[in-house]
Amino acid sequence: MVAVAQHPNIELMTYSEVVKVTGYIGNFTATIKKKAKYVDWDLCTGCGTCWEKCPSKKIKDEFELDMSNRTSIHKLFPQAVPGKPRIDAANCTKLISGKCGICEKLCPTKAIRFDDQDELVDVEVGAMVMATGYDLIDWENRYGEYGYGKYPDVITSLQFERLVSAGGPTTGRIKRPSDGKEPKKVAFIKCVGSRDDSKGKSYCSRACCMYTAKHAYQVKDKIPGSEAYVFYMDVRTGGKNYEEFYQRALNAGAKYIRGRVSKIYPRGDKLILKSEDTLLGRPMEFEADLVVLATAMVPAQNSLQLAKMIGFSVDKDGWYQEAHPKLQPVETFAAGVYLAGTCQGPKDIPDSVAQASAAAVKVCGLFSKTRMAVEPMTSEVDISKCSGCQLCVPICPYNAISIKEIEERGGHGHGPFKRQVAEVNSSLCQGCGACVPACRSAALNLKGYTDEQLVAEVDALCL
Amino acid sequence: MKKRVGVFVCQCGTNIEASVDTEKVAEYAGNLPGVVYSTTYKYMCSDPGQEMIRNAVKEQQLEQVVVASCSPRMHENTFRRAVQAGGLNGYMFEMVNIREQDSWVHHDRGEATRKAMELVRMGVMKVLKNKPLQISTIPITKKALVVGGGIAGMQTALDIAEAGYPVILVEKEASIGGKMTQIDKTFPTMDCAA
Amino acid sequence: MSINEATSWQPKIIVFACNWCSYAAADLAGLNHLDYPAEVRIIRTPCSGRMDPLLVMRALSRGADGVLLSG
Repeated sequence: MVAVAQHPNIELMTYSEVVKVTGYIGNFTATIKKKAKYVDWDLCTGCGTCWEKCPSKKIKDEFELDMSNRTSIHKLFPQAVPGKPRIDAANCTKLISGKCGICEKLCPTKAIRFDDQDELVDVEVGAMVMATGYDLIDWENRYGEYGYGKYPDVITSLQFERLVSAGGPTTGRIKRPSDGKEPKKVAFIKCVGSRDDSKGKSYCSRACCMYTAKHAYQVKDKIPGSEAYVFYMDVRTGGKNYEEFYQRALNAGAKYIRGRVSKIYPRGDKLILKSEDTLLGRPMEFEADLVVLATAMVPAQNSLQLAKMIGFSVDKDGWYQEAHPKLQPVETFAAGVYLAGTCQGPKDIPDSVAQASAAAVKVCGLFSKTRMAVEPMTSEVDISKCSGCQLCVPICPYNAISIKEIEERGGHGHGPFKRQVAEVNSSLCQGCGACVPACRSAALNLKGYTDEQLVAEVDALCL
Repeated sequence: MKKRVGVFVCQCGTNIEASVDTEKVAEYAGNLPGVVYSTTYKYMCSDPGQEMIRNAVKEQQLEQVVVASCSPRMHENTFRRAVQAGGLNGYMFEMVNIREQDSWVHHDRGEATRKAMELVRMGVMKVLKNKPLQISTIPITKKALVVGGGIAGMQTALDIAEAGYPVILVEKEASIGGKMTQIDKTFPTMDCAA
Repeated sequence: MSINEATSWQPKIIVFACNWCSYAAADLAGLNHLDYPAEVRIIRTPCSGRMDPLLVMRALSRGADGVLLSG
């Protein structure tokens, strides 16, 4: 992370979003919205006085998945890069009611800006890499049998990550969110939302088998005398050293039970899981102190709008569509736009990193040339036929046709006059030919697929 | 534009030859209007196959070339380069798909051969209407935009930056790092995620 | 009158297929060695947007029994 921030060739724009992209490969213009942070990061030193003194201390910390609280002015997490805070406007007393302003008074570098506004900046780039990642499925809205998120001790794997993390809300001690007690029996349920056509997604999220093995191992490692049970459909360990890692979890004492949990309900301060052990062919009831759900990965929020705006496609589940599943795994159908990481589909860290480097090579390959060749099969206008009716302009999906004014000499005593004709930008034109049938005066033709050529083909086949 | 078409019918080993009588197709092509040369070869896309096209373009003074073989989605550029190497404009060339859309889907040799002939006729009649096209070039802004500052975005940005090109890394949150920063240790090595 | 199966008449179908989807799909049918009537003739178009109704009329007037536009 720090390497990224310190690299002289990398310009970081955090708390920013791409809102508009125009242009084409080699020549994109992207509009980036720098969202209001209410802190001047050029002045801020990240000293921490503001968030220590901020009186709004009861805000749920999204980074800790609501398992602890934060202040209104806050850093995303202690090791954030850049290590500077922003004000959460929705929860800031000063921005809501005009009172408070303690941070402004105390800031030693006078970096607080309550009048900060969103700012739009345009950048010129030659290539784009999409690395928008994933979110976790909204299991609370889908899985009533696991309590719709009502039971505090049914948590997701990502919440479990925060519980075992030394930097997390419990400083790395595994505790139940309900009463803070250390759980002795932890149950893990895999494929919550994955491989489930009826309530979730049909695909496998690919990383869950391994991180659940890791979690089961961590329970055994961190809590003496504990038990870790994993309810699974299959164990998929397709990766280098993955099977060995799974065996390590088994050797540490993790118990794997093949079966889907059909219901979870509380009994006293315990949770009861109803399931089946399909290897024994027997229904079972199981008592646990903590239940961890390995929830499915889904495309990141707003990733669909981003794809539509830039102009490339997504698959049936909303993952960014690669140009070819085997031979072009990091390209999109939009030339000059590449894919890295889980925005293209669920994957684990090694695969994300490998794909990221692959995308980087595609970009560097493009940049190694000063100019690039473009396919010559584009539309062309015969201006002697063009009536300037402009019907072709809205038809073009790539905004490649514009209207220009030309001057003609005239004749028969009529002086030079001006008229409008269509003009095709051959860099924007993708050669779809949609404009050709729209042209009523047959002034437009698509090079390589002219009317003449297609008629010749039809005639040849119909002889 | 003079009409001097050369037709090259590929056998693709036995992929095409098994259901299409390529000799018969080449013979038929030789009698089509404008065709001055036609031949078959076992693997037209191979080096000797491409050399055959290059040499024929020169020796027969071909003005148009039709290659009947696999799908143009497969080897259109291969043959376009061969035609160009022979000294013709690469767009004075048409490809006819007699593998994916003929020999592989029709198993009656008579029918498949007749279809191949018609498809070759289509290619010849089209190529006679072809015009030389010029490839144009556009400039490239050597700066990249990476959208998303998680592990994938950071890796991409670092790799591009290390190669010497400027990168803008846009992240919607106030810090880069993405989901990785929420993860404790990572499999299979159990090293830290930050 | 009975129709002899072996010499039965087959309609000639002209298919206009988009290079990016239907033409690729027809290639895929080939890769999978599927089987369909040989009287189907495919013309590659850069996109179904290129299709001019006049091309359909042309095919029908020249003796095609059917035209399939796919894209």
